[in-house]
Amino acid sequence: MEDRSTIGSWRNKLGFWKWAIASVFFRLILTYFSKNLNLSSRPEVSTPLTSLRRLAEGYWLKQLSMSPYSGSMYHGSPLLLSILGPLTVKKIGGLSGELLCSLVSLVADFISAILIRATGASLVRAYLHNWKSLGLDKLFKGNEVVPSGDVAALVYLWNPFTIVSCIGFNTSAIENMFVVMSLYGASAGLVPLAAFGWVVSLHLSLYPIVLVIPVVFLLGYGLDAPPRKLFVQSNLQGEEKRSACHAELKSMNDKFSKTNFSWWRVVIFFLWASVWTSYVVIMCAISMKEYGGLGEMFKRTYGFILAIEDLSPNIGVLWYFFAEVFDFFRNFFLIVFHVNILFMILPLAIRLNHRPCFLAFLYLAVSSMLKSYPSVGDSALYMSLLVLFVNELAEMQFTFFLFCGYVGISLLSPVMHNLWIWRGTGNANFYFATAIGYACFQIILVVESVSAMLNHDRKIRKLCNKV
Amino acid sequence: MAEVAAVVKPKPRPIIRIGLFLISYSFLVSIICCVAGVLALLLLPVLAKNTYISENALMPGSASPMLSSADASDGHMFLNKIMSQNSISINTGIEIPEMIGKHIIESGGEVNYHQFQPISDNFHPLQFFLGPDVGIVQENYSCTSYGINTVGIVRAPRGDGKEAIVIVTPYNSVKTTTSEALSLGVAYSVFSLLSRVSWLAKDIIWLAADSRHGEHAAVAAWLRDYYALSRADLEKSLDMCGPSSVLGLELTSVKTNGESNGFRRAGTMAAALVIKVADSSTGFEKDGLKIYAEASNGQMPNLDLINIVNYLAVHGQGLQVRVEKIWSLLDSWWLYSLGELQELLGKVAKSLNPGWKFGIPASDYVEGCATLANSLYNQALGVPTGPHGAFRDFQVDSITLEFSPRFSSSQRVLFLLHVGRLVEGVIRSVNNLLEKFHQSFFLYLLTSPSRFVSVGIYMIAFALLIAPLPLVAAALFSDASKSKSGKDEASLEPSQPGESIPTFTTWNWIRTAKTVLMVHLWGAIVTIIPYFLCRFPNSSPIASLLMWIASSLVWLFFICAASGSLSFSRASQLQIREWTLLKAVTVTAAFIGLCLMSVINYATAQIGALLLVPMCLMAVPLRIDLTAKTTKALLRGACNILLGFVGFPPTAFIMLKGALDSSDRIRLDDFWNWTESLRAWNSATYIYICMVHLPCWVLCIRILLHRR
Repeated sequence: MEDRSTIGSWRNKLGFWKWAIASVFFRLILTYFSKNLNLSSRPEVSTPLTSLRRLAEGYWLKQLSMSPYSGSMYHGSPLLLSILGPLTVKKIGGLSGELLCSLVSLVADFISAILIRATGASLVRAYLHNWKSLGLDKLFKGNEVVPSGDVAALVYLWNPFTIVSCIGFNTSAIENMFVVMSLYGASAGLVPLAAFGWVVSLHLSLYPIVLVIPVVFLLGYGLDAPPRKLFVQSNLQGEEKRSACHAELKSMNDKFSKTNFSWWRVVIFFLWASVWTSYVVIMCAISMKEYGGLGEMFKRTYGFILAIEDLSPNIGVLWYFFAEVFDFFRNFFLIVFHVNILFMILPLAIRLNHRPCFLAFLYLAVSSMLKSYPSVGDSALYMSLLVLFVNELAEMQFTFFLFCGYVGISLLSPVMHNLWIWRGTGNANFYFATAIGYACFQIILVVESVSAMLNHDRKIRKLCNKV
Repeated sequence: MAEVAAVVKPKPRPIIRIGLFLISYSFLVSIICCVAGVLALLLLPVLAKNTYISENALMPGSASPMLSSADASDGHMFLNKIMSQNSISINTGIEIPEMIGKHIIESGGEVNYHQFQPISDNFHPLQFFLGPDVGIVQENYSCTSYGINTVGIVRAPRGDGKEAIVIVTPYNSVKTTTSEALSLGVAYSVFSLLSRVSWLAKDIIWLAADSRHGEHAAVAAWLRDYYALSRADLEKSLDMCGPSSVLGLELTSVKTNGESNGFRRAGTMAAALVIKVADSSTGFEKDGLKIYAEASNGQMPNLDLINIVNYLAVHGQGLQVRVEKIWSLLDSWWLYSLGELQELLGKVAKSLNPGWKFGIPASDYVEGCATLANSLYNQALGVPTGPHGAFRDFQVDSITLEFSPRFSSSQRVLFLLHVGRLVEGVIRSVNNLLEKFHQSFFLYLLTSPSRFVSVGIYMIAFALLIAPLPLVAAALFSDASKSKSGKDEASLEPSQPGESIPTFTTWNWIRTAKTVLMVHLWGAIVTIIPYFLCRFPNSSPIASLLMWIASSLVWLFFICAASGSLSFSRASQLQIREWTLLKAVTVTAAFIGLCLMSVINYATAQIGALLLVPMCLMAVPLRIDLTAKTTKALLRGACNILLGFVGFPPTAFIMLKGALDSSDRIRLDDFWNWTESLRAWNSATYIYICMVHLPCWVLCIRILLHRR
């Protein structure tokens, strides 16, 4: 109960709901001025995949009973088209369609924040419990545990990247919501929800397919914990220590102290995933029936993502490369770049299998770095997931450097774009330089966070040996 | 922060070791870098290169000029007609456009009158991050005071109508002076020639801009309509004013050609030349030409355009070409002695090794410095130096050519011939272009019409100047975290398990970063306060300035109270070494701001860095200096107070103004007028002052007043 009180004091200081509602109002105000800001045309904010302008175009094509994918304008999901499409043309009480869509993004952002908060709360609970079960809880005398869920949710809501992509008329808020939903479902043990979130986010943007590994670990092993062999040791050392544990934690205790993998839940997950997949596929097939069927859809959405057809500048590094590369090497480099993401998956999964949520963060960060059409919305998601581990990453290096780098790059990149496109005194290299800088900072962030996490694990091992 | 890495690991990576080395000697390194930066800035005139024509297609001077003396005397007759028109009638501002239009039609061009009203520029703080928004047709279009631009177009016989070259002659249609009439005469003689030639591949647009509302406004209004006006907009504006004023005029003159009254366009503009004639004569034995190139926010036209003009003027027509310079610098003894020093060094170097060639004559050096200073000043101001600035906003390269005739009235035909041939040659060169100007530099500073400093060189001076900022920030940061972690270890070492618990030592910058962020937010508020103050129309500049300062102070205290971090009363609660962290974050913020500004407008960043870098680097709490009571500490404190005084934007402005033109009486309300003009011209400098310089200054003062 003592832990609860320490978290509680932090929580009171933070005032989560006050700030969350303030962020909603802030977004509403900015939405009102969104015409002046004209963020929807920014390459950083809306990509060919997420832009709502393109979605409106696809909707018009569909209304004219043409394929929404004709003319290489729209590349998103047909389901999104039938849900958001009517909103883009509707006008309710003087609000234009775009405003309605940004209200949808706002709601999606808010739901994501709530889900992040819930995930964080269970992570903190698991964190405290792990320390207790390892017999290290008395080290917590003076220090407080940060309620990382609240902080992460607020970081998500107040991150300029999230705000910009929320009012920038695109669908990345919705994609992020499904990713977070899948993680929340997996961490809370709600298998159908996890499967649903995973399938829909996979359907919307393809890259979350790699999240299947963290989700399976989450369902199999449970929430993030120190390496499992430590628990085996401490089990042997003192069985009686944990007998005094709280009743509520008992079930979790069982869950964590077990080193075996609960295959049953994973099987259920895959069953649900196949149910949802078939559901989504059938819905898509129905809506694409007259326009070339599923084959057309896969070609125009996933094919578009994988083949990097649109080389208009964005904050990623691939557009420049594929604009330069010779055509006969193109396929080879396409494979190289996509395999790059896949290469990272296995080593990370082996090394960090005891920390599935952190693994999910890493996968999201890596894929947002190497993705074909990245936007700031992706960064917003992984940054707030990073904050979920603020207790573990307390001794992370170069945080100030990274912060300054992100601030600098996010200010410099629009200026370089302006210099290139509007003033004509710069060229593509100017803008690409900031893209490279951004990628470097992301790499440093990933590397530093992983090393901080591993150091944390090492420290726990050392402490366990001492105790 | 790298220091911390060193504590953890015994042997860090080489790059970190280099970083550690630099950080541990950051004091020395920063002094060396700053001095080197200032020296490099002073050496720029020596490092300037001769200009060369980079684009091969231009081929200036390869064809002999076709403008004959008959054309020149035609132009002279045209000039006389304008002058007589100007003297006889009670001028309503319609007669001269009508006459120009008639002449254009006679010489075989198409004519079009563009009616406009000057649009007051709106301030867009975000325009450097987002794209521009062109094409706003005014809602409140009144018919009371408008100007009429006369536009003549020659369609190119060999072109496809996709490209055009623009000649602009600003004149006041109500009261035309002789020099304005001369420039019109030049344009007319060139225009009538070009309507006959067969080599033209780009359309020629002659814009006789009505400058009664200002030269820039007329050109800007025409350009805006050229790019954005739709037919519906035009009809709307004509409907509102009725067929009385301009339409009547147009019917009389244009009907003969059977043209409608739509807005005429040629293709995209390849280049634009603004032709002006100075009122005063040169006093030299040659006709003079002065080139103005600076557009808004330090943008320059492509260097090739200046090169052609310079080449043709010097080698073709024998004009004396100059660029503006700061005259007061020419007499300064220290600059001259510096010039002599570098000349001496150059000689010594040459005697050691004949292959080493640097060093220029001292007088050249002083002139180069004066020109460079003017170039920097104009770019930093961000206000265009002539009507050519309007073109640069649409990515069209353009310059203003200001001719000053040798003799005041006689030999006008000869003057027209020379100038007309120069303009013809430039147009012929640009006509040869296959694509738009891209080959030569866009980012450069001029030290004379034929010498320039490119971005690769002048950036060195800036980079050296700001290089200490990240170093010092890293040193201070590692100091702060080391002292903290050292303290932790010292207290917790005896009780063994203490080192284990994650303490947020590497995150302790967050609170300080919040403070700095809040102050910068305050800077943003300060930026937009004058926008509201302008709503009170009848307030004097001094009252507005005082209102601005007062409301800024109120906001500052409000924000401090809201964040609860900066308030001076609670400073004692902060930890002893807190100011080092604050300084580290401030220095980093200054670094980011200066880097950003150097991309938007190099000159502003350079001048700002000269002020901001020493101020940020020196800042140490005065209390420390006072308690130390050594000479060094007292000197440092005095320097800090001086820098803090100089760094305050109004005092900096007044001192700079006093240094540059000593004759003028200096008043405080000049500052308000100055910022007002910066805002009206949408200058990035204004944003820099309010959102980078001022917050950093406040933070430095905060550090100075820190209580130990």
